[in-house]
Amino acid sequence: MAITDILNAVVSLKKEDVVENVIAEINKGTQVDDILNKGLIEAMDVVGARFSSGEVFVPEMLMAAKAMQAGLEVLKPYLSSDTAAQKGTVIIGTVKGDLHDIGKNLVAMMVEGAGFNIIDLGVDVDTDKFVTEAQIHNADVVCLSALLTTTMPAMARTVEAIKEAGLKVKTIIGGAPVTDAYARQIGADGFSDNAPGAVALIRKLVAVAA
Amino acid sequence: MNRVVSNFDRGVLDKIHTSSLELLGETGIRFPNREALELFKHHGFKTEGEMVFFQEPDIEKALETVPEKFELHARNKVNSFVIGDDSYRMAPGYGPPFIIEPSGEMRQAVLEDTNKFCKLVQTSKALDFNSSIVAQPNDVPARTAHLDMLLSTMLLTDKPLMGSTSSRQCAIESLEMAEIIWGNTEKPVMLNLVDSLSPLQYAEEMIDALLVYAKARQPLLIHSSCSLGSSGPITIAGSLVISNACTLAGICLTQLVNPGTPIVYGLGGSPTDMRTGGYINASPEDAKHTAIVTALGRYYHIPCRSQGALTESFSLDYQAGMESSMMLSTAALSGVHVSLHACGTYGSMLAMSFEKFLADEDLCCAIKALIKPIEFSEDAFAMDLIKKLGTSGTYLLESHTATRCRSEFFIPDLNIRTIHSKWLKMDPGPMDQRASQLLEKRLSEYKKPDMDPSIENDLIKYLEMKKK
Repeated sequence: MAITDILNAVVSLKKEDVVENVIAEINKGTQVDDILNKGLIEAMDVVGARFSSGEVFVPEMLMAAKAMQAGLEVLKPYLSSDTAAQKGTVIIGTVKGDLHDIGKNLVAMMVEGAGFNIIDLGVDVDTDKFVTEAQIHNADVVCLSALLTTTMPAMARTVEAIKEAGLKVKTIIGGAPVTDAYARQIGADGFSDNAPGAVALIRKLVAVAA
Repeated sequence: MNRVVSNFDRGVLDKIHTSSLELLGETGIRFPNREALELFKHHGFKTEGEMVFFQEPDIEKALETVPEKFELHARNKVNSFVIGDDSYRMAPGYGPPFIIEPSGEMRQAVLEDTNKFCKLVQTSKALDFNSSIVAQPNDVPARTAHLDMLLSTMLLTDKPLMGSTSSRQCAIESLEMAEIIWGNTEKPVMLNLVDSLSPLQYAEEMIDALLVYAKARQPLLIHSSCSLGSSGPITIAGSLVISNACTLAGICLTQLVNPGTPIVYGLGGSPTDMRTGGYINASPEDAKHTAIVTALGRYYHIPCRSQGALTESFSLDYQAGMESSMMLSTAALSGVHVSLHACGTYGSMLAMSFEKFLADEDLCCAIKALIKPIEFSEDAFAMDLIKKLGTSGTYLLESHTATRCRSEFFIPDLNIRTIHSKWLKMDPGPMDQRASQLLEKRLSEYKKPDMDPSIENDLIKYLEMKKK
């Protein structure tokens, strides 16, 4: 048994094997941070990279994320309470007027898989709620999603409201009609057109802020 | 060639229908709209919160009152037409917010783009009606953009048109503008698109618009589609059931509001790109939905609708031609009555292109020529002429040829029919360049259709009043 077995089980989408291997490593006395970082999180990095290269398909990535989460559930009681918080807290939601959540859910799972504390506000989220939740959770990054061109202005209003509230939280946007140029136009801190890209962007923004 | 109507096994259609009824009765459809829920309750439907459950007799009763065909009236009567029977009517793109230029640059659409597209629709040999939202302009206030687009449509074209379904207010105002032209009428003057929200629900605003138009007895195009593998099952059979259930529920609501309201049955489905999670809009799976929607429309005795010349491409390349042609020819040969997006869209309907619009017009005309019945009259058999000429082969000199030389064949505006040496010198140039030249010509030759000056004035005043 080794941590690489956990990694391989996640990459092979074998949830039961992930759980079994995590339990075995805990019982062996392996450092829980190593199980998390070198087993579960690194596995999702491998899956994310393979997704970006077109080798892994979306449903397979989601299955990997579920397998990873199953391992994480086993590990949670052993983790210090601030392990996830050390990585950072990320708020995510689809903006007001928009009910589309496939892309948003994908990003949320990948961000959680990367070890961040994720707070998913769902769809049709009011500007005020983004601001309030970011304050309450002392968030590092707020992710805004939209599919409809008609709801893109809600992204601009949310970014503006966060700035007006004086929060230091970073904002990133994504969704089919959204572009890098639009992100710059509304003063967001970043844009990604895919889930692994969003994870990389969040890591970069959190590292810079730290 | 006569139109080839899809011949799906009756047992398959029965199974789709009964499975849809099973979903309607057991799972129900979500209608987050107080007025609609009250109406369902008033008619004895079982409801739980915002979920409405339908029984077979409810659906049967609704289907009985939907007309098999109806006439869509234009302000110029010459352009009015029947939807149903063996007709095939086409409209341009519906709703893209961007324009893609021949350079590949994508920019936000502006009202002037909408105006240009209206001029192209008016002068189009291919298009029968205007979608009224060919490109969503970003340089006018969003609250009244639908009025700007509708005014352009009404002033610059005299073909049938569509109303806005973005909200209750948009629908009411669209009808008020129609009333300025036609007066208070129940004759169909405006086709209106209501999309469900997969899986198994409608958005509140769409239901609002449905209620407004059904009360005015204006025709509704009730359309459901899912993204296979994300907002619906990955299989076509599952997609058909989930979308058919939603469309039937929407149709049922229209007939509760106003029995006899004209309907166009719509159902589609596109794969989710399993590599990205994105929506793929021009695929064989898409086309298969188009083929079976016509069979279902005829099963229910309701005119049916499909997508048009869709493509995932962002330029006038082989992919754009291949995908657009597959989508539109499947629709035509399956017996679809109405196609939206027949001209001009790129990239999963995200953007419009003037050059693609003109190239698609050639495609639409070719397809209309394809489905035009072959003439088998005495004159068409030309027996006397064949006997007269025998083996001489000089048909070009005969009046039989001369009288038919401009009408017998499809003649493209843009496709190359030239010799290799000219093509080598890029004369007449690549497709997008030829399209740009044609665009200039079409716009310069455009003439605004006549309209009673007092009506035009009233329409403009209405818009000014609404913008205050």
